[in-house]
Parts: sequence; structure tokens; C-alpha cells
Amino acid sequence: MRQLGTVWGLAALLALAGAGCKTSTGGGDTVIRPDVDPAATGNAVEGDVIKIGVIASLNGDLKPWGEDSVRGIKLAVEEFNAAGGLDGKMVELLIEDTASRAEQGKSATEKLIAKDKVVAIIGEIASGITQPSAMVAQQYGVPIISPGATRVDITQIGKAVFRACFTDNFQGAAMAKFAYEKLSLRRIAILTDKAQPYSTGLSDVFRAAFTQFGGEIVDEQFYEKGTLDFKPQLTNLRTKNPDGLFCSGYFNEVGPIARQRLVIGLDVPMIGGDGWDSRELLQSGGRGIIGSYFSNHYSSLEDREIVQRFVANFTDMWGAAPATAMGAVSYDAAGVLLDALRRAETLDSPGIIKAIQDTKDFPGVSGSITIGDDGNAEKAILVLEVTEEGFVPFDRIDFFVFEEK
Amino acid sequence: MDQLPQQLVNGIQLGAIYALIALGYTMVYGVLRLINFAHGDVYMVGAYIAYYVSMQWIDRDVVHPYMLLAIMLISAMVGCALLGMLIERLAYRPLRHFSRMSVLITAIGVSLLLEYGGLLIFKTAPPPSIAEDVRGPFLQERFEVAGIFMDRGQIVVLVVTLVLMVLLWHFVTRTQTGRAMRAVAQDFDTAALMGVDVNKIVTITFLIGSALAGAGGMMNATALGTPLTTFYGLLPGVKAFIAAVLGGIGNIPGAVAGGLIMGVAEAMVIWADLFVEFDLTGYKDAAAFVILITILIFRPGGLFGSPMEKV
Repeated sequence: MRQLGTVWGLAALLALAGAGCKTSTGGGDTVIRPDVDPAATGNAVEGDVIKIGVIASLNGDLKPWGEDSVRGIKLAVEEFNAAGGLDGKMVELLIEDTASRAEQGKSATEKLIAKDKVVAIIGEIASGITQPSAMVAQQYGVPIISPGATRVDITQIGKAVFRACFTDNFQGAAMAKFAYEKLSLRRIAILTDKAQPYSTGLSDVFRAAFTQFGGEIVDEQFYEKGTLDFKPQLTNLRTKNPDGLFCSGYFNEVGPIARQRLVIGLDVPMIGGDGWDSRELLQSGGRGIIGSYFSNHYSSLEDREIVQRFVANFTDMWGAAPATAMGAVSYDAAGVLLDALRRAETLDSPGIIKAIQDTKDFPGVSGSITIGDDGNAEKAILVLEVTEEGFVPFDRIDFFVFEEK
Repeated sequence: MDQLPQQLVNGIQLGAIYALIALGYTMVYGVLRLINFAHGDVYMVGAYIAYYVSMQWIDRDVVHPYMLLAIMLISAMVGCALLGMLIERLAYRPLRHFSRMSVLITAIGVSLLLEYGGLLIFKTAPPPSIAEDVRGPFLQERFEVAGIFMDRGQIVVLVVTLVLMVLLWHFVTRTQTGRAMRAVAQDFDTAALMGVDVNKIVTITFLIGSALAGAGGMMNATALGTPLTTFYGLLPGVKAFIAAVLGGIGNIPGAVAGGLIMGVAEAMVIWADLFVEFDLTGYKDAAAFVILITILIFRPGGLFGSPMEKV
């Protein structure tokens, strides 16, 4: 039997290794960015080519988001080069696949910096992959800007690390505010994916913020990534008579939860975070997900002019509109970096780091971006409503600082 | 306390599917003394077949919704039966006279082949799920009996599971082939000497076991809406394997009992979470193992296991 156990363990491990995930952690901790200057001075532009590295999940579980990300970045760079580049200097992208795996992200970053001599890096969409990659970039002194890593501690790695998206801290607090003020919910139950640091972090912030706004968290139940049947947990939540359900996990599990809650009779509005962002949610959630709300970076359906222009250009170039929000945030991440190139006093890594840090009111597709002292993008969050036609913009919540008391 | 009946029903639903998968483990073990590690992956393929069939017809009005469900179930069962036979023929039969460890390692190889090879064939990113509409409005209708909420679809799943089990029971105990199967389980070589076509019996065992796994995959994927990946069968496979050991591996009623015990135990642990301060839900899988260990300490052969009565 012992041998059998080992064999199962092996099989399970292999499966886990294969099933990489869009992991991120968060937490209610106040963000402190260490005043650590990078140990090295990175790379400098040589000749007429500005080399920028990209790390993205072009294979593996995160492929749909990774592909979108690269397309958004390529669009931004093509527009930059078509407009004449930087005084005749053209940007060249060097793209590396991370295969949705953290260790591959790290080695790709090392290769881009040490071998290809890039002056800056854009990536990754997942916090779990950005983390080790950003540590490498910080060590070499090459700026890295992540389009999609929402985990709070990413930018705490050091001064070379930035992001173009909001943090889970703001996301959780914003959804708590939305639930309390806009939906007038007072008694919310939480369902958390215990195996995903992203989910536990988001739940913690939501709980703290919602309680602070004056609401009550009536119960929190847990599940693990890969759970099939949520009816036992939903039965428990039903006994507490909540008037809302906050699901901080990913769409893979949120869909079945939405479908199964109807069976159990938990007929209350559901809310969640950007982990819901996949059209697959409509299919797996069925009727149960209609009328729910979640926070996201952007939506192709927004009527802001910059959004419509972006969607049109993206569709022109790639033959299809961006499938996920990662197309737009990655376009913005590239936009912030290219804008910094124009303002940089010296065309090398330290000069670009300083210029990114000075970004103010950059007109991004996902909203106006200001890089705060902590390296995070301060920008509004979009609340989407899930309807039968898709995810429709419902509300915008301006940036605010949430501090846990 | 008032949630206990609902949780029992939740547990029985979960356990019925575990039982269905456990039957395949237990039958193959009974006949070949082989733990077929690829069994959970056959279950996964069953869910995928059901998904592709549903995508074929869901938006067209050529097939009545309930007809579609029947087609999904039958295609999943037939597809998996063929796959199971193929696996036995290509991977296990050539190794039958080698050491048991070689076959075991091969079984793990087949499992990995289906999981990673499946990545090349099946849609996995984003993971697809079987649409709720497949079940039609009648089956989606919710009703309440004495505080227990259910929908009609769940009743159908339970009934189909029960019918399949009764059919299997009838086949094993009341037919000539079933008797041959029991003979092979009791003593492979002697059965062969007595004129039983053991190769045919082994093929039929894989065929039935895999078809049951396919039915379980189709019903679970349709009722619960879980997005499919090629690792979809991993966890249910492990749970069903435990259920089979729990009931006494090689014993058919044992596999059913083991599956139900596993399902109900999981629901009970989550129910108990209501009465304690700390979080218990994370221990639901641990509970299954505690039950397993406890039963194996007192009955090493499993609940119904006795060396003489295999299959």
C-alpha cells in the first residue's frame, strides 16, 4: 500500500505541476515599498534600436490571457514605431514564452536581460509568474512593468517594479464599497478558494472593508481549486440568511457555484473580482450567474472614445476584438513604458525607471494612470454586470485609499 | 440540525458518482489484480465526449433536449467502453505475464498519456463546460420536500445511477458471462483451464467498468457545470479508488457502499463546520482518509472484503 500511496502522490504532483494557475496573493497589509535602489544599473540603448523584452504565457493554462497580452503590446509598439519612434529610434520587441510557469518566467527574464540586453520588460499577466521575474529584474536594475499582476506585494520587491493594473487591496475595498453603497447589501456571505492566495487575499480585504463600511459578514466557507460539488458549503451559507454572496475565486469554480446555488435555493446577488473575467463563466454559470457583478480593468463595451479606438485598431490588426481585459491592460502597460521612453533623460534602465515613476495622468485605455510612490497604478475600477449577452459596464469606482483600522 | 437532511442528500448525490467510478476500479482489480490508474482519466474522456456531443446539437432544434441528454450519455458510455478496451488490449494485455509492478507502472503511464496527450486533442483553454440549457427547463425545475432543495435533474442522475448498478448486479450474478467473470476473479488460471475465454472476460470487464465511468463523467459534468480540463478525472479518480478500497477492493456491493460513505462523509464534515469556530471545510478530504484508515485497521480487507468473494 505504501508504494501505491507514493505512486498516487507522484501522479497528483505531476498533475499539479501541469495545472499552473493565475495565482496571486493579496492581503490587507499596508503597502510598503522598500527604498532599495537596484543593485545594478541595467542595460542601455545601443544604436538605433530600443530593445524591450516581453514575458507572457503563450502556452499552458493562461494561454488565452497571454495571447491577448502580447497582441496588446504589439499593437502599442506598432503605433509607436509608425509615428516615427523616438527620434528615429525604433522599438524592437523580444518575446519570451513563460508557458504559464513561474520558473520559466524567471529564466526568460534572465535571458532577456543578460543575453538580449533589453532596457525594460513588460510582463507577466499572472502574479505568481511576475513575482520571481520581477526579483530578477530588480536585481539587474532593469525596469519591469506588469499588466496584470494584482497581488499586493509585487511592487514591494523594489523600485524597478511597476504595474499598470489595480491591486487586490483596492479591488476588494472597491467591491465592498459597491456592495454596500450601490447594491445596499448588509449581510454578505463569502466563499473563498483556500488553495489560491489570490482568493484568500481578496476575501480578507473584502471582509475588512465591508465591515468597516458598516456591513456584516455572516459567514465564510472554503473550497479548493478543483472542487466539483459546492452544495454542502452553499447549504451552510443558506442557514445564515445572507443578502449577498462574495466569491473571490476564479471563474472555473465560480460558474459551478452559481449554477449549484440555484439548486440549493441561495437566491441572492453574487459579486466577485477580476478572476471572473472569462466568457466561459456564462456557459458554466448558466442562469445562476446572470445578474451578478464583478470588478475588472476595462470592458470593450465602454463608450469612452479611447476604448472604441483601441478596440477598432486591435480588431484591424488581429482580426478579432480582445477576448479578455488583458489585451487592454497590456496595451496600457506598453503605453506607460513608451511614454516613459519619450520623457527619459537618459536612454538606459535607470533613466527609464525614473521616467515611469514620474508617470502622471497617462491616458490609458483602462483609465487614466498615475504611478504612485508604491509603484502601483492609481486608477478607477470598472464594475461589470453579467447579462445573457455578456459582461456589461455597470459602474465605475474612482481610486481611493483603503486603510484597515 | 435542520440542515442535516439536506446535507445527507448532498452527500448521497456526490457518493453515487464516486460509487459508479469505484465499480470500474473494483471490477478490474477483481479480475486482473490490477489497479487501473487510468480509470479516472477514462471518466474525464467521458465528460469530454458528452461536451462535444452537446456542442454539436445544442443550438439546433433537430434533437429534443431529453433526446440530446440520452445521446450524450450513450456516446460517453460507448466511447469510454471502446477506450477502456483499447487500453487493455494495447497496454495491459502484452504485459499480463510480467510482474505486477510493470503493469502498475504502465497504468500510470496510460494515465499520464491521457492527461497530457488529451491537451493536444481536447479544448482546455479556457476550460469548456457543458451548458446548463442542455438539461432543459423541466430538469432544471427546483422543488422542496421537507426543507430539502433538489432539482429534477438530480433525481434523474440518481435513478440512472441506480439502474446502471442494478443492471450490473443482474449481469454479474444472473448471466453466464457474469458467472464466468466471477470464476476468473476467483482463480484466473483455473478458470482458463475450465474453458473460460479469459481474454474475452477481461475485455468485457474493461468495457463495463469504463462505460460506467463514462456515464459518471457525463452526469457529473452536466449536473455540476464544472469546466473540463484533462485533469478533470484526477480527484474523483482518487476518491473513487479510496471508495473501492474502503468497500473491499474486488467487491461490487462494497464499491457502492464505499462510494456512498465517502460522499456522505464529505458532506457531513462540511455540515459540522456550522458548529465549530474554526474552519472545518478544508478537512473534508482528510476525513475521508481517516475513515479509510479506521476501517482498514479493523477490517484490513475493507468493509465487504473477504478473500474468497471477488467480483
